Amino acid sequence: MTLQYASKPEMPEGLAVRIEELSLRYKINVESKMTLKNAIMRAGRGEKRRVRTIEAVKNLSLDIPHGTVMGVVGANGAGKSTLMRAIAGILPPTEGRIIVNGKVSTLLALGVGFNGTLSGRDNIILGGLAAGLEREELEARFDDIASFADLPNGFIDMPMRTYSAGMYGRLAFSVAVNMTPDILLIDEALSTGDAAFKEKSFEKMRQLCLEARTIIIVSHALGTLNELCNKALWMHQGNALAFGNATKVTDQYLEFLNVGKVPSALEDF
Amino acid sequence: MSSDPSRAEALVSKIQVFEPHKASLPPMGPYLREFWRRRRFAVELARFTDKAEHLDSPLGSVWLVLNPLLLAMIYFLLVTIIGGRGSAGSSRFDVLAHILVGLFTWYFAQNCMTFGGASVTAGGKLILNQAFPRALLPLSSLIGAFQKFIPTLPVYLIIYLIGGALDSKSKLPGLNWHLLWIPVMVALVAISGFGLALLFATMNVYFRDTSKLMTYGARMWLYLSPVLWMPDMIHGWHRILIWANPLGPILSITNTVWIKGENPSWTLWLGATGWAFGLLLIGGYFFVSRERDFAVRI
Repeated sequence: MTLQYASKPEMPEGLAVRIEELSLRYKINVESKMTLKNAIMRAGRGEKRRVRTIEAVKNLSLDIPHGTVMGVVGANGAGKSTLMRAIAGILPPTEGRIIVNGKVSTLLALGVGFNGTLSGRDNIILGGLAAGLEREELEARFDDIASFADLPNGFIDMPMRTYSAGMYGRLAFSVAVNMTPDILLIDEALSTGDAAFKEKSFEKMRQLCLEARTIIIVSHALGTLNELCNKALWMHQGNALAFGNATKVTDQYLEFLNVGKVPSALEDF
Repeated sequence: MSSDPSRAEALVSKIQVFEPHKASLPPMGPYLREFWRRRRFAVELARFTDKAEHLDSPLGSVWLVLNPLLLAMIYFLLVTIIGGRGSAGSSRFDVLAHILVGLFTWYFAQNCMTFGGASVTAGGKLILNQAFPRALLPLSSLIGAFQKFIPTLPVYLIIYLIGGALDSKSKLPGLNWHLLWIPVMVALVAISGFGLALLFATMNVYFRDTSKLMTYGARMWLYLSPVLWMPDMIHGWHRILIWANPLGPILSITNTVWIKGENPSWTLWLGATGWAFGLLLIGGYFFVSRERDFAVRI
């Protein structure tokens, strides 16, 4: 199942992400918790582990040029988040490959704040260091991050468990966009902020696009996607059903939602 | 340190390729380079974790020393009550000194195991959202355990010197040149501890009750190690307890240096070094070859 490319990959100029025949599969445990006790008991009964293979992404090929703002739509379980994690290099492909040209910054289901007992400030520093930034660089950007997130007085030094969902989202977004990424991945994080912050995030994303940075957004807010994106990808049960002009794709998706049927003309895409 | 870190970084991570893999190692050169480049993350994570732990306990750091001290007292009472006067002519304080230094060393290794074992499952959110060499998480546990261990050394030295001077029957050597081995001994425990942390962190991802079982396993392992008993007490084939125990040789070295004041034999050094690097290699292989699956398993 391995495909090891010995040669250095060729990446056409102007492409931010190239996805070649990508498939992602993983097994999930159907049974209760994975514990040594259960494993031994199962072995004693001579049973096999009950697993289910999930095909999250099936044979997807896609070229995303620099400066694209791509929306990803699809029903729950379509493989959108898995695809994002693969582009970020978190999940390894099962087949095919992904070539990424540039620095990726992720905002996947709220990346910062993994430790609720630590303050927002500490979480920002830890997340940034894990992403490979230098401490000095982080300190220098800290004011930008904090002022963009614009949390209520003093919250930046409070433990993150005291944050509301909206504050969480604001901080996470602020970290992701202020890391000066070449490629920004955003997963369902736009819905947490209030109207004013939403407007501010749009502004920031437009600005990032003007700097020819690439943004990939997973969201269920089709109106938002239409407003922000120039391209869209519709995924359904691991397959890419449509890729192209954002409004066109979201219209098709909307039609599918209303009719509840996959248009047969699109199935071979 | 380069003058423009962001530029340097952009060059490093310009084009990345993600491809399928077998259950084998990723290219180790780039892995270790990234591991080393982001070591600061492990240091800060250890510091922040420590900070979070002690936020609500002003006695936090005091407990780190107090806990093994009190345990040593309990074990000392047990050993002297059960064993009566002990072997003829030996001072009770010497027994206490042996138990104490053994426990301090043991806890260093055990902290690596427990915290390291939980490090990957505890870092779940970070693993799901950020790509980085996962071995940094157990490394951070090692750093944390080391920082907890270091203050116990001067505390022990004080007890060791004062007690040795007060107890007329004590045969403790006091300050002597063999104590210069301490940095080497600490390094060997640290390497073993890192190997154990990597091993148990991986096991914990696949079997979530590992950390629970480890509590009992570690207790049993402690009783089988030359901490509550002297390494010289066992003879013949029973000595396998020392050699088959990954921490046996290094704990015997600790006893030889601190309590007997002698130069440890080269076989002991060989055993301790072999176990340390063996654990590091086994744990490292186990961890790194599977770490790309962690994001799916968490």
